[in-house]
Amino acid sequence: MIAASLYIVVCSARNRLLMRLRRLREPRYFVGAIAGAAYLYFSVFARLRSAGGARRRRGAAAVPLALGSLRAGAAGLVGLLLLAVALLAWILPFDSGLLAFSDAEIQFLFPAPVSRRALLVHRMIRSQIGLLFGGVIIGIATPSISAYGRLRTGIAMWLLLSAGKVYFTGVSLARTKLASHEAGARRAAWLPLAALAAAALVVAASLYRAFAAGSPTSLNDLLERVAGATAAGAAGIALWPFAALARPIFAAGAAQYAEGLLASTVVLAAAIAWVLQTDAALEDSAAAAAERRAADAAAQAAPYRASRTSLSLAPFGRAEAIFAWKAATQTLRGVDRLAVLRVAVLVVAMTAAATTVGRGNGLRALAGSFALAMTGFVVLMAPQVLRVDMREDLRHLEVLKTWPVRAPAIVRGELVWPGVILTAAAWTALAIAALLAGPTLFARLRLSWLLSAAAAVAIIAPALIFAQLTIHNAAALIFPAWVPLGQQRPRGLDAMGQRLIMLGATWLLLIVSLIPGAIAAAIVWFALRIFVGPAALVPAAVVCAASVAVEVLLATEALGPAYEALDLTAIERVE
Amino acid sequence: MALEVDRFSRTYPAASGKFTAVDDLSFAVAAGEIVGLIGPNGAGKTTTLRSIAGILKPTAGVVRIDGHDIVADPIEAKRRLAFMPDEPHLFEYLTVAEHLRLVARLYGVGDFDRRAATLLDELELAGKERSLPGELSRGMRQKVVIACGLVREATTLLFDEPLTGLDPIGIRRMRNTIAARATQGAAILLSSHLLHLVEEICSRVIIMDRGRKIADGTFEELATRADLAAAGSNLEQIFFRVTGHGA
Repeated sequence: MIAASLYIVVCSARNRLLMRLRRLREPRYFVGAIAGAAYLYFSVFARLRSAGGARRRRGAAAVPLALGSLRAGAAGLVGLLLLAVALLAWILPFDSGLLAFSDAEIQFLFPAPVSRRALLVHRMIRSQIGLLFGGVIIGIATPSISAYGRLRTGIAMWLLLSAGKVYFTGVSLARTKLASHEAGARRAAWLPLAALAAAALVVAASLYRAFAAGSPTSLNDLLERVAGATAAGAAGIALWPFAALARPIFAAGAAQYAEGLLASTVVLAAAIAWVLQTDAALEDSAAAAAERRAADAAAQAAPYRASRTSLSLAPFGRAEAIFAWKAATQTLRGVDRLAVLRVAVLVVAMTAAATTVGRGNGLRALAGSFALAMTGFVVLMAPQVLRVDMREDLRHLEVLKTWPVRAPAIVRGELVWPGVILTAAAWTALAIAALLAGPTLFARLRLSWLLSAAAAVAIIAPALIFAQLTIHNAAALIFPAWVPLGQQRPRGLDAMGQRLIMLGATWLLLIVSLIPGAIAAAIVWFALRIFVGPAALVPAAVVCAASVAVEVLLATEALGPAYEALDLTAIERVE
Repeated sequence: MALEVDRFSRTYPAASGKFTAVDDLSFAVAAGEIVGLIGPNGAGKTTTLRSIAGILKPTAGVVRIDGHDIVADPIEAKRRLAFMPDEPHLFEYLTVAEHLRLVARLYGVGDFDRRAATLLDELELAGKERSLPGELSRGMRQKVVIACGLVREATTLLFDEPLTGLDPIGIRRMRNTIAARATQGAAILLSSHLLHLVEEICSRVIIMDRGRKIADGTFEELATRADLAAAGSNLEQIFFRVTGHGA
């Protein structure tokens, strides 16, 4: 069975790689791959190299003393965290995914003459590529002065992730056995839980003793006491399997690392042995996992719910309104209204708290900075994310093409709802930012400047949003193959590169589209500021926004022929 | 003529250059006529219907609906046309009633409420008005697509495999519905692999193979055609003879 598993793993990986390489023959994927590789190199490797060089120049002595002392007890601290997660796994319905056999696996392997243990081993082998990838990514992302250091971290993380995956699988199997009709099976399933609970009690008692004398005076004191209480004695023994998994990550030298790796491997082997002897519950657990997967798939396939109240569509009117109504209905049926309400309550509560009690302690400034960042995100990034426009509707092109509606009206209609909803979000974030950041971050600004600037941003924001939406929709019509449709999220370096190119092109076009408006706004500003002062920002913003609005209208008219010329065969279906 | 297709061709880009799905196809459908479009898989039937509906652009040739060119005058042509595709493409977030209302708004249907209620009854969709497509069976979704096509006064109706997914009662009702529309004066072009259906309700049949029209006429005309006389008198025998797949 191991040979068959390796065959499946190797063939799957090879075919996936070949498929990705084959699609590089298409220019868009080739260009995307170059852009993605360049981004990865410059954002990770080059940055790490320069950071490593700077660290070497500064020397090892520059490492803060507190961090050095912390490192000694770090394995114990992480072990404590792992113990908490291991306990939670019994309470919360964690799923490692190891028992989520694919439909093909169920069809081919379940009827095959292989043991349940062999099936588990097969799933463990199959999971290794993903775990290895996770380890490599963490290794690359971890700041280290050498490639060797990153390799060490990567291997240590791989072992930790593997042990976690196997452990969660064991919990899933044991949980199934807890409901077994056989008393012996139930007793066997209770054993690991009892052992874990006992270990947790021992560690908790030790921690209680460490903190009974008095509260910690600083963060360093807190960390040192935790490390001291969990490093030796009964607590040290109870925590050993968990600390052992973290030890290679924090090992100082090669010998310590090798010792840690050995201990970590022993823990992983023990976890595997436990899971393999719990294999009797495999079928039931696999069935439960399959049910959960089917429920998730069903929820994803039908993410909308028809509510009792709905927006009504007037029988006559402009064609643009049809698309706005359609997109609004989609949004309102797709989002969890309760979740939105919770977020709204949270935002209002935080704003109120920051306004009333946060003045002296910096909370107000912090919340104001956050609101400012949110405004920037909504205006500059959200049009890329919210895709209830042509990027969604190209999936329905077959239907749209039969409608007797002018193409420019369709393009305009597609922009209306996302533009309105993003403008509302931007204005909300801006109002909060003005309320919180105005008196703190911009305390030196006069009120007239502050109000004028806020009003100007409020006027410019919808123009920027609609301009970006126009660019995204134009890209969807002119280069449909470059734009993922609906919920499609193509994976791979090339797909990442494509997204980066699209983002760069969008911002470049946005800047170009702003130039005429910015020139006109500058003229208005210089002409009026002598008479009205900072308030001249407002008419300047109006002129700029009007210029962009005219461009958007012209662009939608110009995109009409692109929509008419768009062929169904140009739309890429789900990969 | 309600529907005219004149020297229509459509090609697709392919690895080996170009693939011709439909080649130099011409035919017409008069008001009140039901014409069956049949052929083996890959004959070009769906490409023809999609091009008539304005979904695909003809590579060559002209398609006119009530005299309006689907390429040069698409709005007026589409206003007179209803296309019922084989795959029910619905908006997953709109209910059945909202789909009908959307279509009514798009085509400016005046007495929408009355027509919608009648249609929902006729197609056995009454009680499903507030259902989303995800809550409906494939047959029900197909009926919604057909209801959307019939809720307006289209002069030309295109059906692509209209009976797919329907139960026997639904099939009978659909047959009656199609025949009733023709009686009311609509020109109907129907593509189906169900030859007995075509034989039963169509007044004329067009047989396509590998993108070309290889036969066009009433059953009597085809049955008496010199090269087909030996095939027999039913459509199935004629179909196999004319497409060269043996009887």
